Amino acid sequence: MRPLVLRWPSFRLIERAALPRWALRLVGPLTVLLGWELGARFGLINTLLLPPPSAAFADLGVLISGGYLGKALYASLFRVVCGFALAVVVGALLGLAMARIRLVDDFFDPIVELLRPISPLALFPLAILWFGIGDGSKIFVIALAACFPVILNTFAGARSIDANLIRAARSLGASEFEIFKGIVLPASLPHIFTGIRLAWGISLIVIIAAEMVGATVGMGYMVLEAQQTFRTERVFAGIFVIGAIGFVTDLGFRRLRRWLLPWYRETQD
Amino acid sequence: MSGAPGQELVRFDRVTLTFPGVNGRPAIEVIRQLDFRIETGEFVAIIGPSGCGKSTLLSLLAGYLPPSSGRVLFRGKPIAGPARERMMVFQQPALFPWLTTAGNVAYGLKLKANRGNGRNVQSTVDALLHLVQLDGFAHHYPSDLSGGMRQRLEIARALAVDPQVLLMDEPLAALDALTRRRMQGEVLHIWEKTRKTILFVTHDIDEAVIMADRVIVMAQRPTSILEIEEVRLPRPRRREDPELAGIVRRLSALLE
Repeated sequence: MRPLVLRWPSFRLIERAALPRWALRLVGPLTVLLGWELGARFGLINTLLLPPPSAAFADLGVLISGGYLGKALYASLFRVVCGFALAVVVGALLGLAMARIRLVDDFFDPIVELLRPISPLALFPLAILWFGIGDGSKIFVIALAACFPVILNTFAGARSIDANLIRAARSLGASEFEIFKGIVLPASLPHIFTGIRLAWGISLIVIIAAEMVGATVGMGYMVLEAQQTFRTERVFAGIFVIGAIGFVTDLGFRRLRRWLLPWYRETQD
Repeated sequence: MSGAPGQELVRFDRVTLTFPGVNGRPAIEVIRQLDFRIETGEFVAIIGPSGCGKSTLLSLLAGYLPPSSGRVLFRGKPIAGPARERMMVFQQPALFPWLTTAGNVAYGLKLKANRGNGRNVQSTVDALLHLVQLDGFAHHYPSDLSGGMRQRLEIARALAVDPQVLLMDEPLAALDALTRRRMQGEVLHIWEKTRKTILFVTHDIDEAVIMADRVIVMAQRPTSILEIEEVRLPRPRRREDPELAGIVRRLSALLE
């Protein structure tokens, strides 16, 4: 079903310009970039603090051809993927167990609720002591920060299953294991997937912050180093790349869900 | 085997069900001293005011709840829990949304407990989808189906494990009037084809009298039986039949 959209006559004219939807969605960002560029060109803004986007893109070219971006990106993404994967596996298993086994819930729920409000970055100095300045400490804080949305969403999903689905399966002759595998797990998947999407976003946020606090390579380190040497165009080049990664990967997640869960109808997205 | 027609299949033997009071509230007696029997192959309708414990009665039979006292017997043995010989058809279809139409019907057949009974999954699924007139929708998901189609699919899924009795909990209540009339015919068609015993809960007196061999009329909570009406009209029955209308009028008066 199409969402209800108010249609003003003047808006209709723009829509009739026959631009495809994705092209229309580019208009906003491009307008901002254009205004920013013109502002810088005509001396309306201090380019030392806010360099024109063209300078940032030019520097991005330098970073790519010099191989520096590739190295930083690889280091960051490696940490993100490891920490994220850990969070998803541990979070989903724990969430499912907590939702279906009372004893597990009573044991872990207070722990989860005590740890959850703590900023993962508050634990980062400790993580460096435990796992060193390299990948280990980053993977640890990412896994810790990203596992909460997976746990909570998986829990909510596994708890909100229609009791009649389980009754129906039981009447048909399903064993407890068959009910878990064939009913609880698939019924929870949409929620688990939401948790995974949130976890990925958190992973991307945490890695940049962590690399700014303590790292020798990575996207966060690259941006911080550029700031300290006052190369603001490089700061922006880094920020663009980080934003683009988040945007593209979330698009990928939505595609993946449509492919993995074709039966799932989302009411709003 | 399901036993010969006329044999006792289900018996409620002085069944009482009381829900304990929570947080100091008084206990609720839902069913009081209920006694009745159902024979193999019968189509029995249960009517009564809403909230009178009709659905609870089906839950007892399905094995989702134990009685507080008395016995619910199935083929002479007390019911210990859910089993495929007693399949529930829910008011809001409890279909598995991640399985296709065919997948929902096949689910029961593929369970460990039901494997190796010599029945071919594919041909059984095809036959059942044909019976409920859903051939051509095998690869659709439940969310693609209309309310009436979902209800028919739920019946097919229940029939797949070859139950002896279908417990139908106001299966047509959520449908619009036209679909409802058509589905009444469909359920009768399925009953005549499969000869399953059907226990059909409804709050619609017309529906009960048109469909059932016997109508059990329940009183307000705590549920007990007001009357059991044998409907001895030939099938197919017609709504306009004055004799049928007379029965409906009498039962309505009873419930008021």
